[in-house]
Amino acid sequence: MNLKILWMYHDLMDLYGDKGNIQVLKTRCERRGIDCQVDVCTIGDGLDVSGYDLIFMGGGADFEQNLIYQDLLSRREGLQKALDDGAAFLLICGGYQLFGRYYKDQDGKIVEGLGFFDYYTESTDRDHRCIGNIAVQAAMDGEVFQAVGFENHGGQTKNVATPFARVLKGHGNTYDGGYEGFVTDQVLATYMHGSLLPKNPRVADLVLKRALRRRHGQVELEPLDDTLEKKARDTMLTRLGVRVED
Amino acid sequence: MSIALKLAQLSRSLLARAGRGGSLPGTIALKADPDFISRFKMPPKVIIVTGTNGKTTTSNLIAESLRKNGLKVINNHRGDNLNVGIATVLAAGSDSNFNIQADAVVLEVDELTVYRQFSALRPTALVVTNFFRDQLDRAGEMETIIRKLMEVTENFEGDLILNGDDPNVLRIADNAKKARVRLFSVGPNEKTRTETDEASEGKFCPRCGNRLIYDYYQYSHIGRFHCDHDDFGQIQPELLVPEIDFAAGTFTAEGHVYHSFVNSVFGVYNCACVLCLLKALGLSMEAADEVFIGYELKEGRNEEFALSKPCVINLIKNPTGANEVMKYILSRPGDKNVCIFLNDNDQDGTDVSWIWDAHFERLNVPEVKRIICSGKRAYDMALRLKYEGLEDRLQVIEDAGEAVRWLDEQNLDSYIMATYTALHSTRALLRKQVKR
Repeated sequence: MNLKILWMYHDLMDLYGDKGNIQVLKTRCERRGIDCQVDVCTIGDGLDVSGYDLIFMGGGADFEQNLIYQDLLSRREGLQKALDDGAAFLLICGGYQLFGRYYKDQDGKIVEGLGFFDYYTESTDRDHRCIGNIAVQAAMDGEVFQAVGFENHGGQTKNVATPFARVLKGHGNTYDGGYEGFVTDQVLATYMHGSLLPKNPRVADLVLKRALRRRHGQVELEPLDDTLEKKARDTMLTRLGVRVED
Repeated sequence: MSIALKLAQLSRSLLARAGRGGSLPGTIALKADPDFISRFKMPPKVIIVTGTNGKTTTSNLIAESLRKNGLKVINNHRGDNLNVGIATVLAAGSDSNFNIQADAVVLEVDELTVYRQFSALRPTALVVTNFFRDQLDRAGEMETIIRKLMEVTENFEGDLILNGDDPNVLRIADNAKKARVRLFSVGPNEKTRTETDEASEGKFCPRCGNRLIYDYYQYSHIGRFHCDHDDFGQIQPELLVPEIDFAAGTFTAEGHVYHSFVNSVFGVYNCACVLCLLKALGLSMEAADEVFIGYELKEGRNEEFALSKPCVINLIKNPTGANEVMKYILSRPGDKNVCIFLNDNDQDGTDVSWIWDAHFERLNVPEVKRIICSGKRAYDMALRLKYEGLEDRLQVIEDAGEAVRWLDEQNLDSYIMATYTALHSTRALLRKQVKR
């Protein structure tokens, strides 16, 4: 069994340790004997983005976001094809924002998004930047579980039809907003850094299963020893006072 | 007579008598008078040092070099670089009428807040060491820091001493049309590389947005770069270090040989920065060499403790710093244990995701026998290492005292990396352990 991952704008959209997510996906495949190939793409390389099982994009500052968005828009057709073809998507922060309608930055400049989904994002003032540890109760592919991360975004994402999680502690899509991220049965988009996947192996495995589904159908993943992962996650859940036994 | 000043000076002398330091006097003064810092009558030379890494070291080297040049200097040598720390050191160096009793003030100023202090301090020289990814939770984004610094230097008429090999720093020159810009630069040497896996910032030309071309990298994104579409990066350095001799621990500048206080490229950058400033001020650069030779790094910077076998502790606070510390550790011969204290208090940065940007895979060499993870985010650190295939060698010891005892018992050279708030408590534990 093999898996093909595309890491979009690995050299630009890589704020806040998002590369940890790729490392986790890769390692969790390898430990299960799944051959995992990670390709990267960046501005102007013209790589065909369709044909991948999983497409990952991380966050970037306004500066980087401005640099890449035109290139991203030029790949719209390929991305649409990937979506239609059943690929899984994992989008963090800036990646999340750019798959929506638009992003309005600090200076009021509108950065057009891919428009695959109806949500949109508007930058807020300094006092309403969402920064800090976050704990959520997430629901994805019929499973309900707790997840932790670190959020750090000025953008307020509104009109989210299907959020990924209910916020237990922290902000989420908007300042004090109560809901976090966006999820469909193919796309998981979230503001949670940390990186997201190391401390939330359950999310990692759900994303992997979605990605494998495209060419291999329903796959049962062999359980791994997640003692450290669980400890790291529970330490934060306990500190935030929201931990429940699962 | 100012009440704020009187309070600050009184509390300072009481604290000093009790053998204590700290920023309490400045806190009191700023409470009583929010404009406290702007009231001082500054001496003819006011030098601000800011940037991500190397502020404390560089500003201390500058202060010492000015002293060797015969000037009376006031500086915040312990690195208290926020407004309260600065208010404290100014109050201590002033008479009762706000007259600073010195020829020069040298201040390390936090890069996130320097834009707020700038006009109150009225600097005659601004020194910028480098800009790396650091504590983004507090900063928001690095871009914001640079933009704010560019705003306050727009009408700055003093000496602007900039790292010409850091595109994020060089940008400031573009916007500071009235300043006397002086660049320092370090040429290729044996540690220079033409490729890197470390650079994360400064990949694009700030003028036109095109990708910068790098002839070489020194470390992280520091190196010689240029833009093919305009002349960004084509610099005329005021102070160039064309050669470094790592075997001898020396480097060359302007035809003279200088001694590096620490045998590393970033150490040479600190020295180049100091020499560049001295040259701009028309002061003796040779005096600086005496300072470099005798300079001992501050507490927690390559500091050695005599456990059963030597134990060296270093501060880590961001990917670039951690990468450089790991290069140093791995350059030391023989088997060793490594211990990492990861805290996430405010001063450490509450976001620990930066550990995923640092190259901890470098610890995956046979000479590194065991790796202990400790501190408030010990399990995050352990996870980071697990995903580098270091699972079999790592161990979490949450209690710091126990971690230090464990290192002592192993009878093996050891290296500690600690984030800011873990640094001093760990040093205290090490001192205790040495006495046993």
